[in-house]
Amino acid sequence: MLSRLPSPAPAPAPGRTVPARRRVTRRSGVGRAHLAALDGLRGFAVAAVLLFHAGHLRGGFLGVDLFFVLSGYLITGLLLGEAMGRGRIALAVFWSRRARRLLPALVCVVVVTGAATWAWGSTAQLRFALDDMPWVGAQAVNWHYIAEQVGYWNASDTRVFAHLWSIGVEWQFYLVWPLVVAVAARGRCGEPLVASLAGVGALVSLALTVSLGAAVDTTRAYEGTDTRGAALLLGALAATAPVCDLARRVPRRAADLVCLVLGCGLLAAWTVTEGETAPLLFRGGLFLHSLAAAVMIVLMARVPGTRAARIAGGRLPQRLGELSYSLYLWHWPVYLLLLPRLSGLGDRGATVVAIGVSLVAAAVTKRFVEDPVRFRAGWARGRRGVIATAAAALAGVVLWAAVPEPVPGAGTVDIGRLE
Amino acid sequence: MTAGGRTLEGCCAGGMNSRHKSRPRSPRHALSTVTAVALLGLTTAGCGEQGTGTRDEGNGNPTTSTGAKVLWLGDSIAGAEAPALGAALKASGVEFENSSSDGGGTIVDSGEKITRMISAETWKQLRKDIESFRPTVIAYQVTTYDWGSPDQQRAAYEKAVDTAEDAGAKLVFVSPPPIKIDAFYRPHEAQMRTAPKAAAEVAGKSGGTAAFFDASQVWGTDASAAKAQRAADGIHNCQQGAAAFAKWFTDKLGEQENFTPASVDSWARESWTGDERYDKLGCAA
Repeated sequence: MLSRLPSPAPAPAPGRTVPARRRVTRRSGVGRAHLAALDGLRGFAVAAVLLFHAGHLRGGFLGVDLFFVLSGYLITGLLLGEAMGRGRIALAVFWSRRARRLLPALVCVVVVTGAATWAWGSTAQLRFALDDMPWVGAQAVNWHYIAEQVGYWNASDTRVFAHLWSIGVEWQFYLVWPLVVAVAARGRCGEPLVASLAGVGALVSLALTVSLGAAVDTTRAYEGTDTRGAALLLGALAATAPVCDLARRVPRRAADLVCLVLGCGLLAAWTVTEGETAPLLFRGGLFLHSLAAAVMIVLMARVPGTRAARIAGGRLPQRLGELSYSLYLWHWPVYLLLLPRLSGLGDRGATVVAIGVSLVAAAVTKRFVEDPVRFRAGWARGRRGVIATAAAALAGVVLWAAVPEPVPGAGTVDIGRLE
Repeated sequence: MTAGGRTLEGCCAGGMNSRHKSRPRSPRHALSTVTAVALLGLTTAGCGEQGTGTRDEGNGNPTTSTGAKVLWLGDSIAGAEAPALGAALKASGVEFENSSSDGGGTIVDSGEKITRMISAETWKQLRKDIESFRPTVIAYQVTTYDWGSPDQQRAAYEKAVDTAEDAGAKLVFVSPPPIKIDAFYRPHEAQMRTAPKAAAEVAGKSGGTAAFFDASQVWGTDASAAKAQRAADGIHNCQQGAAAFAKWFTDKLGEQENFTPASVDSWARESWTGDERYDKLGCAA
């Protein structure tokens, strides 16, 4: 989810004279201010999710949907930029960049969370952490949670990795969509074809959501890669030339007005939606949210000088956006392990402390893990970086294998009460 | 669901500082996990609201078989009762198969899309279970999705009686426990009240093929009372409730089927108490 955006200051791709990002920027005319706006949107999205999970914004889970749209938009922009510029997409390089951007922080959080759950978590939390870790490692934990009917049992409070379902969705998208773009973008009508595929795919995804969402347990519709693909594909559609060209023709004032209306609509949805099982979500609500987000994103990115982009790209949301990936990874285990110990501070006080701890953990992770790997600095340069990440992953595997599996249920039945 | 959590209510209650009793992680567990990952692509399409379809578990002590075979049907409430019920029946020499369904299990088609889908799946699964398990007793706990008019409920229950008779089995209807009526159930509250009455009526007219067990004897009628033994969600039971239900049901079935229920000492504190669903429900571990 979050980030997995192209980095704000990416390192040059090996063996090339022009950094990939700059080439895309020139192709599509996305300036630094517009990238700041998209970072800012990530900041708003992660704030919504944090507040939702703390019980203060009942529709804040829709921030995840905004992440999906942003992700589809930015990734597709990169892929198309490469396809149009070089005539082909270096898939291995793309996947390698994604892995370098996303895996180090994820490995770090999973290992530390696993150890912390062993030390301070409940028996149920440890049990499920051990069950879920292999699925997190396989980037497929969303399907594991679907099989477990996590939504039906409202069991997320017992799973420190419950939020990583969206990371799984994104990774699965990253595996498939670049292949589609690589093939479809080859011909002269490459971008219109990619746009068509994204549009049709989003509609198929909508149909699946409607169908699967009519169940008692909505986990399948909520966490499925196919159902949530609508958001990613609408973002992808917004990144294609036909849509970008259309957006560029929108006058600045009109773009600002549309962004204002859509922004208010998104905020209203985040405020009034009654949780992730609200029936309307699966009858087109999620799709509408994604569509509104996609339109807002493309207008902010393609119409020069909008006030909307300046507001979204303000210093605070932008900084929050830059931290959003690590912040998202950290907040849920921090909430689960810390909040029950802060009951003396009251609801809001405990939330402030938990968010503060999450922010610190995210900042530390960005400073010492994400950025060094991203910018190939210090220990993260060359083979040392690969070895460091592999060592961390190995630590996770060792931890998983070494932690004794808890035996829950002992002492829960009083035989005297049965007689 | 998302990262889930909503308000974190009930989170980790009493558990954060608990000491973990542990056993070594088995290599087989690890292998099965890896296999599960490898087979992910093949298995995801069908996952969702299937019956759990698990065979009984007990303490492993050899018992004399009574020849009775119980097929257990119902929704996730029946599912939360199943681990203890399986242990109690097995200890008593009765074979057991749990075919309850989380988020499903009803046999009543109320005309609404959701119950039409669920009931069709339940009937399909029932036919398969009869074929494969050959039960002598089919026990159906009236579900929270047994909506529809009393006529629709009676029709479904009569069909169940006929199905059991054709299979050479007896049918036992079990009334559901009292549960917290939330926004999801409120529109169907009246229908949920008529369902057990319709089941009792059908059993009474079945000529001995079906019986009706009134579970209010074990749960009472007030979901908020201690006797109801509801988990934090107000709907399901935890281990103690499951054990109480299992003892009651096994005693009742023993009277009907002429077998002697095993002592609770032989099954009530066995491995079933660690069933995963109790952790999902936030039951004390």
